[in-house]
Amino acid sequence: MIRILRDIWLFFWRDLSIARTYRTVFLFEAIEALFGAALFYYVARFVDTPELQRSLPQGGSYFAFSLVGFVFLDYLNVALDSFDRSLEEARDSGTLEHLLVTQTSLPVFVAGSAIYPFVATTLRIAVYVAWGAALFHFPLGSANWLTVLVVLVISLLAFAGLGILSASYLLIFKRGNPAKWFFLGISSVAGGMLFPVSILPDWLQWVARLNPVTYALESMRAALLGGENVSAIWRPLLILLLFAVVLLPLSMSTFAWSLRRTKITGTLTHS
Amino acid sequence: MPDAAIQVESLAKSFPPARSGWRTFFQPFEKPTAVALDGVSFQVREGEALALLGANGAGKSTLLRILATLLVPTRGCASVAGHDTVHQSREVRRSLGYHAGTDHGFYARLTARENLFFFGQLNQLSHADASQRIAQLAEQFRLGEALGRQVRTLSSGTVQRLSLARALLHQPGVLLLDEPTRSLDALAAAEFRRFLKAEILRRGNTSLLFASHTLPEVEQLADRVAVIDAGRLLACDTVAKLKHSNGAETLEEVFLRLTGRRNQIAPEDSPPS
Repeated sequence: MIRILRDIWLFFWRDLSIARTYRTVFLFEAIEALFGAALFYYVARFVDTPELQRSLPQGGSYFAFSLVGFVFLDYLNVALDSFDRSLEEARDSGTLEHLLVTQTSLPVFVAGSAIYPFVATTLRIAVYVAWGAALFHFPLGSANWLTVLVVLVISLLAFAGLGILSASYLLIFKRGNPAKWFFLGISSVAGGMLFPVSILPDWLQWVARLNPVTYALESMRAALLGGENVSAIWRPLLILLLFAVVLLPLSMSTFAWSLRRTKITGTLTHS
Repeated sequence: MPDAAIQVESLAKSFPPARSGWRTFFQPFEKPTAVALDGVSFQVREGEALALLGANGAGKSTLLRILATLLVPTRGCASVAGHDTVHQSREVRRSLGYHAGTDHGFYARLTARENLFFFGQLNQLSHADASQRIAQLAEQFRLGEALGRQVRTLSSGTVQRLSLARALLHQPGVLLLDEPTRSLDALAAAEFRRFLKAEILRRGNTSLLFASHTLPEVEQLADRVAVIDAGRLLACDTVAKLKHSNGAETLEEVFLRLTGRRNQIAPEDSPPS
């Protein structure tokens, strides 16, 4: 176990060291987060009405509702993107073969590739929320941070399965990320990002119920805006956990199969 | 480690045909028809250096990549340090140092030292052992000055030496080198050959399989030479025996006779007989 954690740490250290050579990126991302938070604040001021606020699950302002939806979708984005982007970079830089001849196991290689993007995204989201709290009255005081952490971890596990499936597709077909197009597209409409799922027509609500993002957002808003504890949101958390339990082994098996397929066809390093 | 550090039996590898346009979508699932290796068998004994000699496209790199667990053979089997390359790939990688000839595969924005640390520790060297090995290899490969620089700023020869240092970092029992002196200048190539001969092969506990087009290098390093052409093993013996059995005076002549390429060479290019 210590060896696994050490190897995952090595991947994180590698990506952090590379990121540190692009120092201005951190600054620009912090500024971008300020504009992002401002955008949602002023849109909310424009559309907010007492009726709208009453229709939101936790009540409160539309700004808080939409900002949580927007930044949390960033997690889905990074989950869908980080595995195949990391794989693509390794393939194009020629490091993939050299990684695969080390003694690192496949699960460690996969997990290690995504650990830095997830941590960086968490920090980026924290900056968004910090700007929102500091300048635009985002209600941080009501958050239950332990529940927020539990929701984050379970959501990441569920989303990671989707990302690994996407990386498997990249290994075989070399270009494209259909899981990203599909899930980000579906989630922006039927995931509860900018409006409650309850306003959708019945058939789209049914689609939303098959989407892990719906449960992740529902739980995160309950923890962050409603201050709920874990026992109060056990149902969406359990469903998210089920997504993780099904998707993670399925995606790892698919990835291992795809890797073997590229070793048979000799296309591991092809782009 | 068993007597045969590398064992290759009836090894065959074919690839699906290359496709373009919409057909590329089905290429990964097509029947392999392009033959790269065809029933190759040989072994490399413990402490032995075997050279793979062949023209471009003969199958040398494919063979090395199968042994490095980067390709799965179509038929036959191969083992490294007694472990099957398909079914015991993790055990194989434990005994292996691999240097690919074409790309060097480093993180361009990390320093040479950071790259070596990363790969060394992924090969289960402790931080202290990695530091020690990096210092040793930096001295042997004249990398001292390069260690603190980002890889993107290094010359191709230096990156080549760095790649060789990476292959040796965890002191593997079996070394697979694909054209190891390809981008090195004459001095660096000679120094590398001297290092390999004096520091690695002399100890007798490292086996070497390398592909090379440089005939003096093959003669200097290899205990035996395997001549490969169009995926088939034509001969595998010591240089002296190959010359004798083919009635040739030079290794180049042996190669041309075995591969039947002698007639393809213009008179002024042909080796002296």
